[in-house]
Amino acid sequence: MSTIEAIQAPRSRYFFEALAPGGRRAFFLLGTVATCLLFAFPVFWLVLTSLRPGYAVYYVHRGSDFTLDNFREVLSQEIVLKALWNSFAIATLATVLSLGVTATSGYMLSRFRGTIPTAWFGAIYVFRCVPYVSWVLPLYFVTRAMGIFDTYWGLLLPHVAVHICFFSWIMKGFFDGIDPSMEYAAMIDGCSRWGAFLRVALPAAVPGLTALAVLCWLYTWNEFLFALILTAQNTPILTVVMAQFVHELGMEWHLMSATAVLALGPALIVTIFGQKYVIRGLKI
Amino acid sequence: MAEVILTNVRKTYGAVVAVEDLSLSIADHEFVVFVGPSGCGKSTTLRMIAGLEDTTRGTISIGSRVVNGLQPKDRDIAMVFQNYALYQHMSVYDNLAFGLRNRRVPAAQIDAAVRHAARTLSIETLLERRPRQLSGGQQQRVALGRCIVRNPKVFLFDEPLSNLDAQLRGQMRLEIKELRQRVPTTSVFVTHDQVEAMTLGDRIVVMKDGLMQQVGSPLELYRRPVNRFVASFIGSPAMNFFDVHVTAVPMGFRLSADGIDLELPQRRFAGLGAHAGRAVTIGVRPQHLRLGCTQVDQVGLSGQVMVTEQLGDEQVLAVRVGAGDIRVAGIDPELSLPTGTRINVAVPMDNLHLFDAASGVAIR
Ligand SMILES: Nc1ncnc2c1ncn2[C@@H]1O[C@H](COP(=O)(O)OP(=O)(O)OP(=O)(O)O)[C@@H](O)[C@H]1O
Ligand SMILES: [Mg+2]
Repeated sequence: MSTIEAIQAPRSRYFFEALAPGGRRAFFLLGTVATCLLFAFPVFWLVLTSLRPGYAVYYVHRGSDFTLDNFREVLSQEIVLKALWNSFAIATLATVLSLGVTATSGYMLSRFRGTIPTAWFGAIYVFRCVPYVSWVLPLYFVTRAMGIFDTYWGLLLPHVAVHICFFSWIMKGFFDGIDPSMEYAAMIDGCSRWGAFLRVALPAAVPGLTALAVLCWLYTWNEFLFALILTAQNTPILTVVMAQFVHELGMEWHLMSATAVLALGPALIVTIFGQKYVIRGLKI
Repeated sequence: MAEVILTNVRKTYGAVVAVEDLSLSIADHEFVVFVGPSGCGKSTTLRMIAGLEDTTRGTISIGSRVVNGLQPKDRDIAMVFQNYALYQHMSVYDNLAFGLRNRRVPAAQIDAAVRHAARTLSIETLLERRPRQLSGGQQQRVALGRCIVRNPKVFLFDEPLSNLDAQLRGQMRLEIKELRQRVPTTSVFVTHDQVEAMTLGDRIVVMKDGLMQQVGSPLELYRRPVNRFVASFIGSPAMNFFDVHVTAVPMGFRLSADGIDLELPQRRFAGLGAHAGRAVTIGVRPQHLRLGCTQVDQVGLSGQVMVTEQLGDEQVLAVRVGAGDIRVAGIDPELSLPTGTRINVAVPMDNLHLFDAASGVAIR
C-alpha cells in the first residue's frame, strides 16, 4: 500500500513531465495561447470584417479584396462623429463627476460615524441590491418629466448615480487602508478637517482613484442600456449608433464593424495606459 | 509660558468611560509621562489636549487660554504618533515644511527652520527621500523634526517608541532626553512602558481604567506608591505581593500566612492598628530582598529555590514561600543555587509596602 502511494505521489506532481520532457511548459504555453486566441479571435474577426467591402462580409474567408471604404463611409456620417464625441464627453464627465462624489462619500463612510453616514450607507446598499436594469424605465419617465431627456444631463446623472453606488464602497476600502493619524497630524500641522482630506488623504488615495477612473471611464464608454433608453436623436451615443446599423432593411455588418473598431480605439488606449494603475490601485 | 491645565476632564464614548474626572496641572517646560495598561485612557487624554477629541466635561487650558472649543490647528501644539504618521506622498523636506507653509511663513524662513531641525536630529542627508525609503528610527526622527520646526507651545507624544526594536528604543529614549535639553518645551508623553516613564518623566501620571491613580516624580512613585496597582506597575521585575492576616500582639503586629510569620513593631507601623484581625497585602520589591538571616530592622522569610534566571550581572530567583512564589533579584551571578535549596531572605522594614487587601490602598 505504501509503495503504491510513494510511486503515485511524484507521478501526479510531474504528470505533464511524465508525458514528455518539457511537457509542463508546453502545456502551459498551449493553454496560454488557446486562452489568448479565445479572446483575440472575435476582435480579429471584427477588424477583418471592417476591412471587407459590403458584399464580402459573409464570405470573409473567400476573396482577397480589402478596403478602407467602410471607415470612410461611417466617418462621413455626421451621427457617427457626433456619437464619438458624445460618448467621449459623457464618459469623461461621468468619470470626473463620479470620482468627485465617490472620493468624498467613500471618505465619509470610512472616517465618520453617525446618522448621516449610516443613512447614506443604507441608501447605497439598497440601490446596489436592486438590479440596475430595473432603474432604466423609471429613469426614462423621470428624465422626461425633468425635461432633461436626450441631453447630456439626462444620461450623465443616472450614470453618476450608478457609479456612486458601486464605487463608494471600493473608495471606502481605499481610505480604510490609509492610516487616519496622517490626517490628524495634518490637522495639528495647520489644516482644517477638510484640508486634511484634500491635502493628505486624497493624495494618498491617488493610486486607487486612478484605478477607479480607468474602470469608470471604460464602463461608461461601453455602456449600452442607459444610452439606448435615455437618449434619442439629439444626443447620439456610440454604442447605440453602432446597434442602429441593424435595421429593417438588413444588417450592415461592415459598417457596424468599422464603427466598432473606431470605438475600440480609445478604449484600447485607456486600457493599455491604465492597466498598470488599475493593478497597482486595486492591490493596495 | 505654556502650562497645560486639565480641570475635571471627563470623556465618554457612549456608555464607555474613557477618562474620569482628571485634574492635572503641567508646569511650563515640564515633561509629564502618562503611563498605564492598554485601554486606560492615556491616548484619549492626549487627543483631548490636542483637540482631536472633544471633552465630555471639564476644561483644558494651554498657556492660560482655555482651548476647549479650538481646532487642533489653533492650539499651537505638535504631536508625534505611534506609527509616525508621516505624509507618504511628500519628501522629508516637505514633511518638515508642511506645518510652516500652512502658516504662511516666508519661504526663506521655512528653509532655515527645516535645515536647522534636520541638523538638530542629524537627518540632513535624508531630506530628499520619501518616508517609505527610511528606516523606523529615521522616520521617528523625521516625526520629531516635524514637531520642532514649528516651535510649538506643547509637544505631545503618543507611544512614539513602541514600534522600534529594543535597542533602537533605548537610543531614541536618550535622544528625546537630549532633545529636551536643547529644545525645552512643555511635553506630555504617553507610554505603557514603565521604563520609558521612569527615565523620561519629570513627573509620572499612572492611570488605570480612566482614573488617575497617582501623580509624582519617578522616585516618589517607586518609593511611595499609593496603592497596589501603582506598586505593581512601576519597577521591574514587578513587586512581590502576599496576603497575610494581621493580629495585634504586645508592642506590635503579627502578620501570618502559610509559610510566613512576621512581627512588626507598633511604633513604625501604627497604620496597621486599624487592620488588626483583617487581611492585608505585603509588597516587597525583588531588589530589596537579600539572601541571609534577619538583622536589626529587617524581617525574614524562608523558602525553596524553584527557578534561577541568569542575567550575567545578576541572578533572579523564584522562591517558593508558603503556597506562592516570590522573586528575588540582585543575587551574585556566581552563586550556585540548585532547585530545591532552602534559603532565607531578609528585607529591611523600610522597604515593606502594606496595602489593604480589599481596596489595595497603601497603609501608612
Ligand atoms: N472612538 C472610540 N469609540 C469608542 N470607544 C473608544 C474610542 N476610542 C477609545 N475608546 C475606548 O476608550 C478607552 C481608552 O482608550 P485609549 O485609546 O485612550 O486607551 P490607551 O490608554 O491609549 O490604550 P493603548 O495603550 O492601547 O493605546 C478604551 O476602553 C477604548 O476602548
Ligand atoms: Mg493609546
